[in-house]
Amino acid sequence: MNGSRLQQILAQGKFAVTAECGPPRGANAAVILEKGALLKDYVDAVNVTDNQTAIVRMSSIAACSHLVQMGIEPVMQMVTRDRNRIALQSDIMGAYSLGIHNILCLSGDHQTFGSQPEAMNVWDIDCMHLIHTVKGMRDDGKDMSGFELDVAPKMFIGAAENPFADPFEFRVLRLAKKIAAGADFIQTQCIYDMTRFKEWVRLAREQGLTEKVHILGGVTPLKSARMAKYMATRVAGITIPEAIIKRMEAVPKEKAVAEGTKICLETIQELREIKGVHGVHIMAIEWEDKVPEIIKAAGLYPRS
Amino acid sequence: MARNLATTSSTIAVSVNTEQYKPQITVFHCFNAFNNITGSNSSDYNVHSIKMPCSSMTREVFLLRAFEAGADAVIVMVCPDGSCHYIEGNIRAIKRVARMKKLLDEIGLDGRRLNIFQIPHGDQSAVERIINQTVSDLAVLGPNPAT
Amino acid sequence: MIVGEQKPLAEIKEKVAPYSKLLILGCGTCVKTCFAGGEDEVAILASALRLAFKKDGGRIKIEELTIERQCEDEFIKEAALAIARNDAVLSLACGAGVQMVASRFAKAPVLPGVNTTFIGILEKQGLFTEKCLGCGNCILDVFEGICPISRCSKKLLNGPCGGSRNGKCEVNSDTDCAWQLIIDRSKALGQMDKLITYVPPKDWRTSQAGGPRKLVREDHVI
Repeated sequence: MNGSRLQQILAQGKFAVTAECGPPRGANAAVILEKGALLKDYVDAVNVTDNQTAIVRMSSIAACSHLVQMGIEPVMQMVTRDRNRIALQSDIMGAYSLGIHNILCLSGDHQTFGSQPEAMNVWDIDCMHLIHTVKGMRDDGKDMSGFELDVAPKMFIGAAENPFADPFEFRVLRLAKKIAAGADFIQTQCIYDMTRFKEWVRLAREQGLTEKVHILGGVTPLKSARMAKYMATRVAGITIPEAIIKRMEAVPKEKAVAEGTKICLETIQELREIKGVHGVHIMAIEWEDKVPEIIKAAGLYPRS
Repeated sequence: MARNLATTSSTIAVSVNTEQYKPQITVFHCFNAFNNITGSNSSDYNVHSIKMPCSSMTREVFLLRAFEAGADAVIVMVCPDGSCHYIEGNIRAIKRVARMKKLLDEIGLDGRRLNIFQIPHGDQSAVERIINQTVSDLAVLGPNPAT
Repeated sequence: MIVGEQKPLAEIKEKVAPYSKLLILGCGTCVKTCFAGGEDEVAILASALRLAFKKDGGRIKIEELTIERQCEDEFIKEAALAIARNDAVLSLACGAGVQMVASRFAKAPVLPGVNTTFIGILEKQGLFTEKCLGCGNCILDVFEGICPISRCSKKLLNGPCGGSRNGKCEVNSDTDCAWQLIIDRSKALGQMDKLITYVPPKDWRTSQAGGPRKLVREDHVI
């Protein structure tokens, strides 16, 4: 199958839905097959993380390849923490040859957070360089040395943005920079502070950036008040307003999941109404079976 | 009133140590805190005093060498806050003693053998109290294991 | 200067245990400034080791000597006799000094007593911070005098990552986010526009990644 289906959907002006899938901590392909089966008809593409939070897992490229074989469109996440430019370009070519057509370019979480903090990090290049490199390989058919590739990998290029990280005034400039480097789509960090998110989109829109790139807003359903508080304080780059934490604390434990889901659905609804936002990216961490329910309740099923 | 600083002192119950030894105590004192240690002659213990023109002369290596020379305990006596004639001498001495206490623990000699006190000028009774306290501490700590 | 920290006493004790006559060789330059291996530190360590060995019923004879620098023959040769009359040398110099002493005195076991860490500055009394990784191709002007190679935990050249929070790095909340500093300084200098410029990937050949480096200055050889 040629070309990225995600790209086609976005090009048609449809509101795209993507979800995330974490590979197993081991060589068990069945885990990917199960998660894939759960998500298959509910999303337009499935992101596969790349040793997320620096915890050693099955490789993104391998897991994506399993999804391709199931007829599912993957988005291969690629961090620059663990591999140098040689290995990254090599994997981009390999990925395309395996039928993977979407890449999300990231710098990656620091290895000191992960399961093997003693490891050396790489960061030979940053995510901006990676975006630029994939674009060069795709549009010019050349690798970083200028060598002409026999077949150019025609990748749909994604990048992440975090409107909730500091410094805020720089976040729109950084978005512009990523677009200039070659980003076709953006998936944002999960949104709880809708005010800040809307402000970020507004500034992007003012600079004409929403015409140049497809923004997919990230959402993560909360399971409990404890989860909310943990994420707000311990996870870098996530902001949760007091009002949301209070909502989660106000309901009895048995009702927490329902309330978290409600908040998630409200967020998705608001996203659909923001001019310049072209989709939603659902990150239900180790809770992939929740995704179909959310998509149905949000009125986003079936995916035609 | 003497203020005891940077010590981890145990409760002192002066029990008779079956292994009687005559504690050797070395006192480094700034001569602005007081001029002489009286009551240093006793059949129960020996006090060896070293005068310094300022407590900033409390050099770490001298504290350790006092233990090498056979001291069972080392006391440093300096001026109270704000009274140092050279402004910061006492502050520096306090920091150095803290470092050496930790090092003495690492060496395995027990940092409780080294203590620093701030003495108002001429407060002789404070000096006596401190010496007596130290002798009591040594009944529990025992002699310097590195002699 | 080069910054390092003296190894813990227990580790040093273990390293020197096989030797009955030890020379502790200090260095009067970088490691003196960061309180790791100067004359004072040599004296304290010697005393501490003597006490530690005596306590265990053992004995060690320690000679103490500090020279100006251990990275130049001119000063190292002053230690020749002292090295010859001892069984081993515990060098408190940075890794460069330790290696030079080892290379000049082939027969003497040379042990490191300091963990060399970084090239840095004395930020304020008692605080040393890393500033330079020696990449071999300085473009500090591009980043308004703040180096993202040495001071960004991810060596990012094109702006902060998503983990920057309140001007601090995600790795350690005591560490400033280098990109926050670059942005602040750019703002102060009215140069924010510069930050949109794409900074291309680094050529690492001039860094240690290109292999151990040397500098040859024939023009200074007579």
